[in-house]
Amino acid sequence: MSDNKEQTFFTALSDAVLNMDEGTVEEIAHRVIKEKIDAYRAIENGLVDGMNRAGQLFEDEEYFIPEILLCSDAMYAGLNILNPYINREQQRTRKKVVIGVVEGDTHDIGKNLVKTLLDAAGFEVIDLGRDVQPRQIVDAAIAEHADVIALSTLMTTTMDGMAAVVQILQESGQRDAFKVIVGGGPISQTFADRIGADGYAPSAPAAVKLLHKLFKDSIYV
Amino acid sequence: MSDSTINRLALKKDALFPLQRLHAYAQGLPVDRLPCVPIVGNTAARVLGVTVSSLRNNGKSLADAQVASYRRFGYDNIRVFTDLYTIAEGMGARIRVPEDETAFLAEPAIESVSRISGLRPVDPWRDGVLPEHLEAIKRVVQEVGNEVPVTAALTGPFTNASFLIGAVNLSRLVLKDPASVHSLCKLSLESALAYAEAIFDAGGMPSLTDAMSSSSVISPKQFEEFSYPYLKTLVDYIHSKSRPATLHICGKTSPIWDKMADTRADCISIDNDANLLDAKKKIGHRVRLMGNVHPSAIMLQGTPQDIRREVFKCVIAAHDNPKGFVVASGCSLPTETPFENIDAMLDAVRETGYPVNAGLLEEIVNNSL
Ligand code: B12
Repeated sequence: MSDNKEQTFFTALSDAVLNMDEGTVEEIAHRVIKEKIDAYRAIENGLVDGMNRAGQLFEDEEYFIPEILLCSDAMYAGLNILNPYINREQQRTRKKVVIGVVEGDTHDIGKNLVKTLLDAAGFEVIDLGRDVQPRQIVDAAIAEHADVIALSTLMTTTMDGMAAVVQILQESGQRDAFKVIVGGGPISQTFADRIGADGYAPSAPAAVKLLHKLFKDSIYV
Repeated sequence: MSDSTINRLALKKDALFPLQRLHAYAQGLPVDRLPCVPIVGNTAARVLGVTVSSLRNNGKSLADAQVASYRRFGYDNIRVFTDLYTIAEGMGARIRVPEDETAFLAEPAIESVSRISGLRPVDPWRDGVLPEHLEAIKRVVQEVGNEVPVTAALTGPFTNASFLIGAVNLSRLVLKDPASVHSLCKLSLESALAYAEAIFDAGGMPSLTDAMSSSSVISPKQFEEFSYPYLKTLVDYIHSKSRPATLHICGKTSPIWDKMADTRADCISIDNDANLLDAKKKIGHRVRLMGNVHPSAIMLQGTPQDIRREVFKCVIAAHDNPKGFVVASGCSLPTETPFENIDAMLDAVRETGYPVNAGLLEEIVNNSL
């Protein structure tokens, strides 16, 4: 298989994700398998690339929530087809993220975007939903053997729930077991530093970069 | 530099009732100060010393709290409001009501578009907590309606649609199934019109609020297709009762200001993600502006000095708005906003007086940095 031909497939996948075209993504994904193109690279250079481009358009305010959701639907349609074909080693060793919106807050659009882009970037994401108690978040992270706890809130009135998570981790001597990252409207780097989180990012694409930085670009264990 | 001695203007007591002030201001007659509306919602429970949940389904308590809060602070508009979900609840959405916090959506009314046909518009005199809210409006009007405008929050159709089927679901449908979005918005519009009529019958005025229409969520084109026509119908309805319409949209709104003005709303209330000076330049000749002190970073977490400074900045930016200006918070205040911060907002406006001396305010702001 020539690199050139592979690249044509990857570009087509990427474009189809960007164009929110679920049907085309599925069609090309099936052809990728038929042509025995490396599924993992098709995900990275095709599906994920498309989602990253969509994320960029979102940052540029050309795409809005509806577009981003359909791009992510298209990406997931492709992942469902390609995932079974990627090398097991790679699957098993992905870093695991537990994500949730803190107690008292039901804004979940932003959290869903962060989840999608982390997923696209190769993290395994467990979504705890919205309005989640600090205890529940910590328990889930421990039970899932997660590497990262990602916390979202859009309201100042619920920010303390983030501090509570860090505190529970500290008190139970588990603080070092997880990277804690935080985000959402009222959150800032200063706030993250104050509560002793490991990082803050202002947007979903930035959340991906943040985790790459925290894991020094290796998202595999 | 300390601001208290050198840079404090004389603090005048209010000389007019809100209705007198607003009336004179609209006519370009002399007033004692600019109108000022810290958008008080469940903070009213704190003024009365009761739990947040005790207001939601009790017209008497809700009225008592709103009247007590108005009397305590002396702002220019009473807004009967507990949360955004009262209409959706009447249409079948499940609402969680924590003991002492603002209620929120636990589950939308339906899970899929196949259920839309089962939805019915509300009967505001019967469904959910709406009858108690109407009771509250009546009582507030009876007590203080001769001195202050009494409004009730009316959730915009697109936002209400998101409570019927879920925000993420609705966002997908915007591109995948526009017809269903319109069906949900139409049902929501019918409910909104019914509630608006009931609000008028109770002696109040509806005040439109529409978070999901924000450019933080949908594109300007999507706003134009899925939100604008319904908001316009509501504004037309309010005008048919010879009443002014106020439209609030949270978050980013600059890309849709023109369209918001096209609804013919009389006053547009903008959030802290939007810029008053820009809004004045773009639509100030068409609509009154209201805003936009940060509800959480400043009103909840700031000091009275912070609030004074931010109020002055807003006044400097928009006091000369051709269609007028109301000093306000960018959005509803968080419940636990300290009383002294709300006082500070009104005091800063009283201190500003009228006509506004913007040069002097600028000096004060610069000195306080
Ligand atoms: C849409 C909206 C709603 C919708 C939410 C629908 C949903 N299912 O999510 C509805 C209408 C339901 C709603 C309800 C309410 N809302 Co609201 N809402 C908004 C609005 C307009 C946009 C939010 C949004 O979705 N933005 C788009 C997303 C993509 O952006 P985002 O969430 O910020 O996420 C990005 C980044 O922050 C980051 N990020 C997010 N999470 C994380 C996590 C991590 C780990 C990282 C690294 C990054 C990250 O990445 C994301 C993508 O790039 C904002 C206005 C604003 N300025 O944000 C108000 C706003 C958030 N709401 C507000 C309020 C007050 C409310 C209500 C309490 C209103 C009421 N009185 O009933 C209720 C909340 C009830 C509750 N208890 O939850 C306030 C919060 C103020 C405060 N106290 O701090 C805001 C700021 C408006 C305002 N200026 O006052 N709201």
